[in-house]
Amino acid sequence: MDTVNILLGGVGGQGLVLTTDIICKAALKEGYDLKSNDVIGLAQRGGMVWGSVRFGEKVHSPNIPVGKTDFMLGLEPLEAQRWKHLLNEKSIVIVNSKEVHPTPSLLEKVEYPTDQIKEFYESYEHYVSDFSNDAKKLGNRKAANTILIGIMARFLPISVETWKKTLEENVPPKAIEVNMKAFDFGYNQFGKE
Amino acid sequence: MSSREKTVLTGNQGVARGFYEAGGLVAASYPGSPTVEILESIKEYKEIYSEFSTSEKVALEVAIGGSFAGVRSMASMKHVGVNIAADPLMTFTQTKTNGGFVLLSGDDPGMASSQNEQDNRVLGKFANMGILVPGDSQEAKDFTKTAFDISEQYHLPMMVNITSRVCHSRTPVVLGDRKEVNAKGFEKDVERYCMIPPHTHKLQHDMKNRIDKLKELAYESELNVLEEKEGTDTVVVTSGLVYHNLKELNPPVSIYKLGMVYPISQKRILELSKNYKKIIVIEELMPVIENEIKLMGVSCEGKNYFSFTGELNTETIEEGLVKAGVIEDRKTSDKSPEESVKRPPLFCAGCPHRPIFDILKKLRKRVIGDIGCYSMAMFEPFQASDSIISMGATLGITKGMSKANGLVGNSEPLVSVIGDGTMFHSGLPGFVNLLHQKNDAENLTFIILDNRTTAMTGGQPTAASGNYAKEDDMKVDIKTLLRAMGHENVYEVDQFDYEATKETIRTETNRSGISFIIAKRPCALKFKIQENTFYVNPNICIGCRNCIKTNCPPIRMKKYKNIEKLKSSIDPDMCVGCSVCAQVCPVDAIQPKGQHPDHSKKGSAKYKRQEHDMLPLNNE
Repeated sequence: MDTVNILLGGVGGQGLVLTTDIICKAALKEGYDLKSNDVIGLAQRGGMVWGSVRFGEKVHSPNIPVGKTDFMLGLEPLEAQRWKHLLNEKSIVIVNSKEVHPTPSLLEKVEYPTDQIKEFYESYEHYVSDFSNDAKKLGNRKAANTILIGIMARFLPISVETWKKTLEENVPPKAIEVNMKAFDFGYNQFGKE
Repeated sequence: MSSREKTVLTGNQGVARGFYEAGGLVAASYPGSPTVEILESIKEYKEIYSEFSTSEKVALEVAIGGSFAGVRSMASMKHVGVNIAADPLMTFTQTKTNGGFVLLSGDDPGMASSQNEQDNRVLGKFANMGILVPGDSQEAKDFTKTAFDISEQYHLPMMVNITSRVCHSRTPVVLGDRKEVNAKGFEKDVERYCMIPPHTHKLQHDMKNRIDKLKELAYESELNVLEEKEGTDTVVVTSGLVYHNLKELNPPVSIYKLGMVYPISQKRILELSKNYKKIIVIEELMPVIENEIKLMGVSCEGKNYFSFTGELNTETIEEGLVKAGVIEDRKTSDKSPEESVKRPPLFCAGCPHRPIFDILKKLRKRVIGDIGCYSMAMFEPFQASDSIISMGATLGITKGMSKANGLVGNSEPLVSVIGDGTMFHSGLPGFVNLLHQKNDAENLTFIILDNRTTAMTGGQPTAASGNYAKEDDMKVDIKTLLRAMGHENVYEVDQFDYEATKETIRTETNRSGISFIIAKRPCALKFKIQENTFYVNPNICIGCRNCIKTNCPPIRMKKYKNIEKLKSSIDPDMCVGCSVCAQVCPVDAIQPKGQHPDHSKKGSAKYKRQEHDMLPLNNE
C-alpha cells in the first residue's frame, strides 16, 4: 500500500500532541511502520501548532512531501486552511469549525478569514462542524479531537477495535467513556443522520 | 513496560529508555525545548536518581559527580544550556572518565523554540568528546546505550547530539531489558581528578590519544553504515534525520551514514575517495563533517549546495542534489504556503504576566526583558520587552545601560523583568552585583515574576515552587533572599489587584534608587483559578477596547443583535475568571457570572483571591 499521510493543524493547548500520539499507536498496533512530527515549544502558548503522521510498509521521513497529504485534521479552521499548499485535490479535510481567533484578529488588525476558509472547504471532500459543541453534548468538549479521528477512521485500514483499544490506553481513565462515544459519533453518526 | 515489546516513542523518550536500559543511575537536566521530555520520562524509572537542577551547569556537575562515583550518569539540556555548562564541561572532559558519562545536547535547526541556532557538534569536538547523532527514536535509544559503552571502554565523556525534529518525532522502538552496571566507586587519585597544572599537561595528550583510538572504532563500528549502490560515482556522507529525508528520494548514490560524526575514520574516507569520484556531504547547520573530511586532505562538497541555516527537508535536499549535478530533475514540489493570518503565541487566559505588561505599556517604560513566557511581551499589543538575550542577562544589561546612560547625562528610568525560574538559574549573581558601585541617583526597578514554575517548558518546578505545591521541596522566599543580600525597597504585589499593582510600579519607577517588586500570582496553567467566568454586558460596554488591549484569548469585539456598534465579548469556554479585563473596564461592563452586577465594581480587593483557592492541577 502507499504511505498514508495525515496532517494535523491546531492551536497550542488543543491536544494536538496527544491526538498525534494516538494515531501513531493505532497504526503501530495494526502492524505498520510509521513516523510522526509535532512542533512544540514557543508554540504551546496559544500559537500555531502542527503535526503529521505517516504510516505504511516503510516510512523514511516524518515530513509529508508537498501535495501528498491524504487527510487534513483541523483542530481549528484557520490552522487547517494554513496548510492548503500541502494538500491535493483528493485530500479529505476534517475540521472542528470552532474558531479560536489569533492576536491580529483579536486586535482588529485583520478580519478572521471566515469566507476564505469556507472556500477552502469547498475545494475538498470535507467534514466540518463545531465538534467542540458535539463533544460537549456527549459529555466533555475536550473529546472533540476524537470525533475527528472517528471520521477519519472511516477511510483508514485500521480496525475499529484497534482505535478503541488505543484510545482506552491513552486517554485519562475518567475520560474513556466520553472518548468512546466521541469516536462512535465520528465513525457512525456524523453526517449520516 | 516489558522488554522486546515494540512501541512508539518520541526521540526524547527513546533517549530516556536508552539511559534506563544502559543501567543509568544519575540523570540531571534543566528544562529547555527540545529536550524537556527526556528527564520527565526518566522520572518514571524508580531505579534512577533524577532531578531538574537549578541550571544546566548544576545539572552537568551532578552528572559529573555520578560519573566520579563510578555510575553511569547523564546530563540532558538544550543547545544553549551547554553554554551555561561549558565551564565545568571543558575541564571535566580532560579527566579519565570513571562511570560512563553522556552529555545529551538538543540542537534546534530552524529555531522552532530557541534564541539562536548554534551547532553543538562544534562544542563536542572543542571539548574532545566523541559525538553520536541519532536519526529516529530507535537510534536515540540504541545510541544512548552505545555512548555509555564507548564512554567506559575509552574512558572519555560522550556527547549525544539530537535535533529538535528527532526529539519530537515518534517512531517504532523495540524495547530491551535494563542491564545493571556495577558501580566502580571513587578512588582518590589527584592526578586524575584534580585539574591543575601539571596534572593537566599530560591530559592534553591523553585526550588526543582517546580520540585517535576512537577513530579506529569509527572505521569498523556498526554506528557508521555504508550503503553502496551500483553504477554510481557519487557517495553522500550524512547523518541523523537528514539520512531519512534523503532516503525518501531513493537517490542514485551510495550513502555513508555516520552514527558517530566525531571523530570520523580517515581510513574509511580515504577508501571512499578512491572508490568514488564525488563526495557530497549533507548536514544541517555548520559544515562539521565537511570540514573534517577536508582536513584529511580529501576534497568534498556540501555547504555550497545545502543551506547553513534551518532544517534540511526532502525538498531542499533534492534541490541541492540537482545543483550538485547528482540528479537531473526535481520530483518533489516546493509550493510555499499562501499568505494567511499569523498566529503568534500569546499569554494564556488568566496569565499573571498580562496585568504587569499592560501596566508597563501604559506607563511607557523602557523594559529590559529576559527568557521565559514573559519574552512574549515583545509582541503586539504590549511591545513591552525591549531586549531579550539569554537567561538572567537582564540584571547585568540593565545595570550596564544605566551606568552608560549616567555617564552621558541620560537619567531614563529602566525596568527589568525576570521570572523566578530564570532568577534561580542565573540571575542571582546579577542581583548581588547590583550592590557594587550602587548609585541611588539611578532609577532602576526590577520586577520578579514569581509564578512558581518554569512555565514556558511545561511547568517544571523552580526553587520557589515549594511555597505552593506540596510535591515540590524547595521553598526559597525571594523577598527574604533579596533582603539577605542587602537590598532594601523590596515589595510584593498581587497583580490581580490591578490598581494597587499599578500604583506600586508607578511609584517605584518614578523615584530614583533601586527597587524590587515581586509579583506573586502563580502560573494560570499550573495553578488553576477557581472563579466564575466573566461576561460583557453589551448595553453598558462603550467599545473603548481597554479589555481588548490586554490581549486575552477569549476577548474580542463582536456584533450583537440590535446593537449597531461592535461591543466586547468573552468566550465562556476559554475564560478562567482572573478579573483583569473587568478591572481595566472604565464602565463596569464586565461582570462575573452568577453575581449581582453591584458586586463587580473594579479595582476593589474582592478580586483578590486567597492563596488557598489556587490548587495545583495535579491535585485535582
